[in-house]
Amino acid sequence: LSESLYGRLARVSGRVAAGTVGEVTISIRGGTEAYLAHPADSNETFSVGTWVVITAHSGRTVFVAAADL
Amino acid sequence: LSSALYIPLIGIAVFIIVVVVVFKSMWRVAQPNEAMIISGLRDRGTATDTAGDSMGFRIVTGKGKLVIPGVQVVRRLSLDLHQADLFVECVTHQGIPVQVKGTVIYKIGDDNQSITNAARRFLDQQDQMDQRVHNVFAGHLRSIVGSMTVENMIQDRELLTSKTRESSGDEMGKLGLIIDSLQIQEIDDPTGYIENLAKPHNAVIASNARIAAAEADRLATEAEQTADALMGQSRRDTAIKMAGFQAEQDAATSQAKQAGPLAEATARQAVVDQETEAARREAARQEQILLATVVRPAEAQRDADVASAQAESRVAVLKAEGEARRVELEAGAAAKRVELAAGAEAKRVELAAAASAKSVELEAGAAAKRIELVATAEANSTRFHGEAEADAKQRVGEAEGVAIKARGLAEAQAIDARAKALATNPEAVAMQALAEQWPEVVKAAASAFDHIDNFTVLNGAEGVNEAMMKVVGSSMASFQFVRGLFVPKEAPSVAPSTTESDAP
Repeated sequence: LSESLYGRLARVSGRVAAGTVGEVTISIRGGTEAYLAHPADSNETFSVGTWVVITAHSGRTVFVAAADL
Repeated sequence: LSSALYIPLIGIAVFIIVVVVVFKSMWRVAQPNEAMIISGLRDRGTATDTAGDSMGFRIVTGKGKLVIPGVQVVRRLSLDLHQADLFVECVTHQGIPVQVKGTVIYKIGDDNQSITNAARRFLDQQDQMDQRVHNVFAGHLRSIVGSMTVENMIQDRELLTSKTRESSGDEMGKLGLIIDSLQIQEIDDPTGYIENLAKPHNAVIASNARIAAAEADRLATEAEQTADALMGQSRRDTAIKMAGFQAEQDAATSQAKQAGPLAEATARQAVVDQETEAARREAARQEQILLATVVRPAEAQRDADVASAQAESRVAVLKAEGEARRVELEAGAAAKRVELAAGAEAKRVELAAAASAKSVELEAGAAAKRIELVATAEANSTRFHGEAEADAKQRVGEAEGVAIKARGLAEAQAIDARAKALATNPEAVAMQALAEQWPEVVKAAASAFDHIDNFTVLNGAEGVNEAMMKVVGSSMASFQFVRGLFVPKEAPSVAPSTTESDAP
């Protein structure tokens, strides 16, 4: 029932940067869900619309890194 | 036979029916918008968290599950969307009090962890979930508004959602809830801040509207004025043309009206010309008459008068010449007579001077003799008197001392008075002083002749006169000198010289 988030691609729907709480939209369980997001590397910043890859997650919070498309 | 055959068939059918009913009563299906929470008898499907700890119940979404009655309990948790209306009074980042009316739309997360968290908190209180969330989220909204400005709330949707996540994300996560949307529906602004925000723009728009209206009005007025001007111009042109026509008409009319008088005047002018010619000829005739009757006789009279005057003038000239000749002759005779009289007078004076000189000579000799005798007598007399007087004077001296003193005072006063008089009228004082001294002056002049024995005159009467004049002149010189002493301002003209050429 529980699908793993690790390694999934996500689209940034709220700016992800250190010092704030971003949001990514993940295609999961047949639909899309919004997760709170933080950058895995605190120096990185992801603006809305960019694709990221999830490196870790805890509950509804995920850590993302730049997606190597 | 047949009944025996039906019995097992009926039994099988009943069994099947029972089985179906039992299965039906045990099989639970989860709707797409709900999660079944099955607790009770553990089985292989029990959910585990990441740490491997068992949750102790099974979560079933989107499918069916056989539940054993009595050992397992099924509870359903709705995953539907919830809405909580919020109305909070708060203060913005700029300190402006506002009343914010908003709506938060949330649901229970679709992952097992969220369902687990929510199930543990709300399973029996699903109808009260909105109230709980309202209470929690009012505080979050207050903090969200407090970290934003009014402008941001109105304009920056991205910032609003970001702030919402920041302030409430973790806490809602604890409750297993996720926020789909936060909408601020209304901002009530008692201080009029938002209204004031709009005012500059409103003013600009109003200004532009007024400018545009004024410009349009101006253009319309200009067009109207131009049209009016053109109309006026047209009217003027028409009036000018009409006036021109009227003038021509009037001129023609006037000319026609004046034709009669003009002809009359022309006729009169011809008459006047003829009359003038007649008058001129009459004047010429009168002039000829006057020339014959007045001018010619007057000219003749004038010529006669001129001839008469010339004759008279000639007569007067001749008379004057005769008179001049007579006067000339009379003057010559008179001169001759005067000349003879002068010669006789000169002779007479010469003789008188000679006689006078002789007389003076004799008188001088007599005087000298007399003076000599008097001097001898007086010398003797003086010697006798001197002896007598010496004695007398010695006695008198003392008396005279007193007298002299008194006289000195008197003379001082007199001098003082004379000085004042001299200041006021120097000429008079001088003449007075001279008059007092006059006997001594004459005596001194006469003394020049005291020692003269012979008085020879070389050139007759003229020499005697010269000698006398010199004597008198010396006296006069003395007089002038003395007078000069008293009258210093008058220029002394004669040097104080005495007789010098009389001694033989």
